[in-house]
Amino acid sequence: MKISRNWLKQYVALDASIDELKRAITLLGFEVEGVINTGLPPLTQVVVGEIKTREKHPNADKLSICTVDVGLAQGGVRTIVCGAPNCDVGNRVPVALPGAILPGDFKIKESKIRGQQSSGMLCAADELGLAGQASGLMLLSADAPIGSALNEIMPEGDTVFDLEVTPNRPDALSHIGMARELAAWFRRPVNFPPIIFRGITDEILRPDILASVRVEAPEDCLLYFGLGLTGVKVGPSPAWLQERLQAVGLRPVNNLVDVGNYVMLELGQPLHIFDAKKIKGQQLVVRRAVEGEKLRTLDGKERILSERMVVIADAVQPLVIAGIMGGVHAEVDAQTTDIVIEAACFRPQSIRGTARRLGLASDSSYRFERGVDPHGTVAAAYRAIDLIQATAGGTVVGPACLVGGDQSWMREIIISPDYIRERLGFYVSDQEMRGALEALNLIITAEVACAPTVNWTVKIPSYRTDLDRPIDLVEEVLRIYGTDRVPPALAVGPALADGDDDPIAIFNRQVTAYLVGQRFNEVVNYTLRSRQELGTWVSDAAAAELALANPFVDDQSHLRPTLVLGLLAALKLNQSRGVPATQLFETGRVFMELNGTVQEYLGAAFLLCHNPKERSWLVRSAPDFYTVKQHLIILAQQAGIDLASAELRPISGAGWGWQAGHAAAAGESSIGWSISGGLLDLTMVRAAGVEGTVWAGMLAILPEKLKSLVGHRRYQPFALFPTVLRDLALVVEATRPAEEVRRALLKIAQASTGPAFAIEAIEVFDVYLGQGLPGGKKSLGFSLSFRSQERTLTDDEVNAVFTKIQQQIVVDGSITVRS
Amino acid sequence: MQATLSALLVKASAEFVGLSSRADFEAAKARYVGPNGELTALMKQMGAVPKEQRPALGKLINETKGQLQVQLDAALARIGLAEITAQLGPPIDPTLPSPDAGSGTSHPLTLVREEMCRILRKAGFAVVEGPEVETEYYCFDALSTPADHPARDAQDTFYFPAQARFGNISKKVAEEKYLLRTHTSSVQIRTMLKGQPPLRVVSPGRVYRRDTSDATHSANFHQIECLYVDKHVTVRDLKALLDYIFASLLGKNTKTRFRPHYFGYTEPSFEVDLSAQHLPKVNKEWIEIGGCGMVDPAVFEGVGYDSTVWTGYAFGMGLERLAMLMYGIDDIRYFYQNDLRFLKQFT
Repeated sequence: MKISRNWLKQYVALDASIDELKRAITLLGFEVEGVINTGLPPLTQVVVGEIKTREKHPNADKLSICTVDVGLAQGGVRTIVCGAPNCDVGNRVPVALPGAILPGDFKIKESKIRGQQSSGMLCAADELGLAGQASGLMLLSADAPIGSALNEIMPEGDTVFDLEVTPNRPDALSHIGMARELAAWFRRPVNFPPIIFRGITDEILRPDILASVRVEAPEDCLLYFGLGLTGVKVGPSPAWLQERLQAVGLRPVNNLVDVGNYVMLELGQPLHIFDAKKIKGQQLVVRRAVEGEKLRTLDGKERILSERMVVIADAVQPLVIAGIMGGVHAEVDAQTTDIVIEAACFRPQSIRGTARRLGLASDSSYRFERGVDPHGTVAAAYRAIDLIQATAGGTVVGPACLVGGDQSWMREIIISPDYIRERLGFYVSDQEMRGALEALNLIITAEVACAPTVNWTVKIPSYRTDLDRPIDLVEEVLRIYGTDRVPPALAVGPALADGDDDPIAIFNRQVTAYLVGQRFNEVVNYTLRSRQELGTWVSDAAAAELALANPFVDDQSHLRPTLVLGLLAALKLNQSRGVPATQLFETGRVFMELNGTVQEYLGAAFLLCHNPKERSWLVRSAPDFYTVKQHLIILAQQAGIDLASAELRPISGAGWGWQAGHAAAAGESSIGWSISGGLLDLTMVRAAGVEGTVWAGMLAILPEKLKSLVGHRRYQPFALFPTVLRDLALVVEATRPAEEVRRALLKIAQASTGPAFAIEAIEVFDVYLGQGLPGGKKSLGFSLSFRSQERTLTDDEVNAVFTKIQQQIVVDGSITVRS
Repeated sequence: MQATLSALLVKASAEFVGLSSRADFEAAKARYVGPNGELTALMKQMGAVPKEQRPALGKLINETKGQLQVQLDAALARIGLAEITAQLGPPIDPTLPSPDAGSGTSHPLTLVREEMCRILRKAGFAVVEGPEVETEYYCFDALSTPADHPARDAQDTFYFPAQARFGNISKKVAEEKYLLRTHTSSVQIRTMLKGQPPLRVVSPGRVYRRDTSDATHSANFHQIECLYVDKHVTVRDLKALLDYIFASLLGKNTKTRFRPHYFGYTEPSFEVDLSAQHLPKVNKEWIEIGGCGMVDPAVFEGVGYDSTVWTGYAFGMGLERLAMLMYGIDDIRYFYQNDLRFLKQFT
């Protein structure tokens, strides 16, 4: 909202500088989004002077020494050094005398310029805050009186503040509203505009102008006031009125329309003016629109209305969309002589809904949506009548039609000054609080001692609908006291008993620390992805479950079920920009569907890219599935999952972008976590425009399944006796998982050692396929380590067990011992 | 005999000098001191030597054996050294680059988030988390946002279809819709409903607005919010916390300012401005950084806290905005493009 300083000064004496005003408005709670200065700002010690003599400065080529007559009151003729080319004798120019402060806080002082005394400055237009190029001194007319203040001979400048008014303060959406606020800040009285018209006394009834008003939608229209005028003369508004409107960015139209706008901007009450001759049947009906009813609004567009919208209609058709915009049929035009003034008060929610549905906003709807005080509605109509009669003539005619508006207003808040001090946390005297409240017209009407304190009864004016509870008054006191005066203090932080960080935060921190330590670069991608991407990489079914109802753009329409898509996109972007990228990771929420229900999971995922195009003088071996596996085991550990004991199963089918036969998974949605990793499908990666070979790993877990392993850590004693090692090569089907064979071997080994000593570990150290083996078979080399907790083992006892193991392992026939 | 021994020594030294492998060494060693070696053969002849000559001769043989051993040891050391030299290869060129990846990096948003959490941790705040998919109750109703408030409009907030079902996000009212949370304040409500005061929590997280993406707007971004609930919490305490946070984060010459503002869930409410002209690319005296206020009594009543007993404050800000300010970043989209030339600046 734009507020003109000159306009405000009609209602409150403001002698503060622009910067002080800006600060006041800001600290009152209205953000100043822009300040537009027009004309000459108020300046002291800047006067008209005439250049009497001009000589070249002895020590500087481009400077002149002038003598300037600034009038006897300012000390007569002064010597001033000037650098402008046009400081010619006889010119009358603005002179800033010592003590003047020019825009930009530029203080003028007596000074020596290159050794020459200079008592003042001759000014160019831009130095005075006026628009225009700085091509030289600003030349004043030859009859400008010497010695007079520049402000006296120049037209008055203005400053327009562009403010953000918060939605709880509809009372501030006008010049009077802001004048009230500034009057409170500067502790000045508010001079309300005098209203001469006091209602119809000698009633001239002219039902041929307006016969009646009927409100059929009283729930949406709290008050409707209509009054006719006859004999008005439409024409341009007087200059002062045009100037006011233009200052705040409104285009003057004609005296009637301009008065309507002026009163809205002055008092905050939107008005509407009808051409009475265009009202069919001379009756106004406030009603819901008929579904599909049409109205061409003043902006020239045809609007299709629905039955949720309120219109002002005549006997035949809607004329106005209530509180938002008039229609073209009842518009005032050059021929208008009889008018009806509407001042009404509509329900904010109704106006908001209609404006939203029509995509139509106006200065009027902006105010109605936030709330207009019905107790000022009729007065605003009277103010408009005064101004119409002053600018367009005319006679007020009856009947005055008033429907509704009978809500009484009586609101009081009982509050004690101690309560305010307790909420503020610092001392403000009773007197200062009372002063702050009363400056805002929040009058203390009663004071009741209530030991050890006192209770004030504070009367709330009808325009302050936002004030309802004692806490609301705390803010009012603080606003006027000054939020910049809150005294500094130390932040005190007692440790709270159960103040542990959420396991989610700890998990993310651990994962990040691990992967950063493993030289991964963390990336952050959007949560929303495209339907097509999900269909390609995950499944169409998943895409259907993860769709938003109202996406904003097509390529961000679905929740992400995996972080890998984002990692791949980041890889692609870097490749396309010629930036080497090999290891990326991300943590964040992912969404997966199970039986038609979507769950929000914590996700962590990483990606490794081997791009042969990125050359190096020393070539490292490429990552492989087992690189991914190790990272996954550690990520799982950080989530409290022991992946070593869970079966990683090969992924063979399509979906999720894995290369069949080169990726594996563990867990599943139904148990609350899932892990997968391996090679990304080579064809799909290529189709996505990514170079090289890409491996990825991901973990998703429901937040409530996160387990910390910290609490489960227990020390296990370990033996100090030496191990005895034996190697064993077993021949099995080539497709058989090594872990299955290892477990079979472990089971037999454990049974064979019995309680005498332990098989400590069995590890695969060799996998062999090819020459020397039957087709379709592979050889797995296992290293078995035996150890006792109590003594050093003998070769004989180990050999006996080892022999037994070799006999047992071949019993089921699927395994043979390779000699 | 002495001559024989001398000759043997001369012959052996000549052989040992030429040894270059462990196998040759072992063979050479065997030829002299092995069971069938030449020196061993001479020692075996000792029996045939007259008794009185034996001590002198024995001494002579032992000396020879000792000298042979010295030469063998030297040969073995030489071979060992040669092996190591061969294993080492040519000397390195320390100016060649390592082919290994550079250090890993945390995303700047993570850095700022963790730094804020660390600073707040010192003031007793613990991290709380909540879901990104929320319901209207937690995101709006519990925060006193009326049903027809513009923020709830489908123009500004992402909603899910009425039939969408989310398994682990609880609904308060059956007919309410799921949405993507527009602020992390929903976590405050969940925290208050779950626990009892006093509370001191910080909730960092991702939030969503249905907005055009440009240099300063992003469809998803991150917030960090603090909530403190206790007896006798004051406006002055809130100001003290903010002064502490920004002095810790941005340096002691950072100032904060409160501007009265309006939020539905705090009263009084303020916007927070920062004065930090030592930061890069800051050319304004005051920069808006976040919103805060004293928790509105209605919010306490809504979560079942007695508002005549409990007071509190809440403070929230955008992490991207803070990171942009701290590092002098001028386009919010850089955070989501993941160009490594950007990310690696935050090692």
